[in-house]
Amino acid sequence: MEFDVAYLAQQWPALLSGLWMTCKVTVLAVFFSLVIGLLGAAFRLFRVPVLAQLTLGYVEFIRNTPILVQLFFIFYGLPAVGFGISPFWSGVLCLSLWAGAYQVENVRGGLLTIEKGLREASFALNLNLNQYFRLVALPLAVRTSLPSMLNTSISLLKNSSYLQAIGLAELTFVAIDRIATDFRAVEMFAAIGVLYLGLVVLLSMAASVVEHRLKKPFRS
Amino acid sequence: MDVLIENSVLIGKGLSMTLGLAVFTLILSTIVSVILGVLATLPGRALRWIIHGYVEFFRAIPLIVNIFFVYFVLPMFGVDLSPFTAVVTGLTLWGSANGIEIVRGGIEAVPPHQWRSAWALGMRRWEVYLHVVAPQAIRLIVPPFTGLLTLLVQATSLGALVGVTEFLKVGQIIIERGAIMEGVSPAFFIYGFVLVVYFIICSALSWLSRYLERRLNRKPASKQQVLPSGMRESV
Repeated sequence: MEFDVAYLAQQWPALLSGLWMTCKVTVLAVFFSLVIGLLGAAFRLFRVPVLAQLTLGYVEFIRNTPILVQLFFIFYGLPAVGFGISPFWSGVLCLSLWAGAYQVENVRGGLLTIEKGLREASFALNLNLNQYFRLVALPLAVRTSLPSMLNTSISLLKNSSYLQAIGLAELTFVAIDRIATDFRAVEMFAAIGVLYLGLVVLLSMAASVVEHRLKKPFRS
Repeated sequence: MDVLIENSVLIGKGLSMTLGLAVFTLILSTIVSVILGVLATLPGRALRWIIHGYVEFFRAIPLIVNIFFVYFVLPMFGVDLSPFTAVVTGLTLWGSANGIEIVRGGIEAVPPHQWRSAWALGMRRWEVYLHVVAPQAIRLIVPPFTGLLTLLVQATSLGALVGVTEFLKVGQIIIERGAIMEGVSPAFFIYGFVLVVYFIICSALSWLSRYLERRLNRKPASKQQVLPSGMRESV
């Protein structure tokens, strides 16, 4: 058995379409998870009645259950009670909810490091709560929590491979599908291994660039 | 509710299989993590880089790809694996990658003056590890390891994808049966039930991890963060 490069070249278009699907799902889910994270952190921090408790329960629940079961619940469980969603949007929903739980904690961690004095100063300057949050707290908090937020996003990218289980044609699905017909497992795994590693490294590098950029005002 | 009572034997089997996967993986990962984690703190630079590569590689590859790789590729080289062994192997590779970081972090968090004092007393390297470093590092290592166990229990659900009859797979079997016999899919209820059971097991473990952390670190050995960044979220 030897490593067949020609086979990989032939399967390249299929892999590329899988990669594109992985990227699409990841980007959408990262966006929605950040929205969830910001809202959830605000609810928790400002102790909005009911919503704050719900957020806490949601975070604990997501963290302490396997993402695969969450995915099956959304994709197979919800249609049974009349909420059928396509594999693509089930995937986006599942990943967003999963990563959102971590983003709540990431953003909250960042916001907690902000000194109380800043809030008092903002109110003294006649900013309202909304303005304080948007103009003062958030820009500072994002800087502190950025590394962990990007970490979560990288995990999200890796976890998009779970969508293989509901038949969404992303990278892992394409590979497993081809292995089932062509038995070229070594080549396929080498290919998707390199692609995933590449994506993760690329994201980590982008992360450090962004981090460096955001630190600019604080460098002497 | 009747569905659950009818299938209680099956559910019990599934749960014990999940537990088996988790326990086996935990034992193997612990052994690998401790050995490689200690080796990674030795002065040899080449060794440290190799272990670092191992850790980074298995943390960057999606876990599911990892397990599929073990399941599909190793048999091609003549290693015949049952689904159970394949899952344990795949999970161990991933679990130990995270475990190594915990062990290494725990050992490196022991303040350097402890080393210098031990050397000043004429202890050999292995004596320092055994009598000075280990007692201090263990209290830093145990809580995050319990946290890792939570993640391992969650990750065992991947066994369902390669045909291990663990808890999630049992849920799928019950749903299929129900759909055939009753004509209505109990998917919502059964998957909901599976989620709740996992939640109970894992929150208990998370609680244990937090409890141990408070308990073992009452004397502040070190305030350094031992948990490698991003580890809590890699499942």
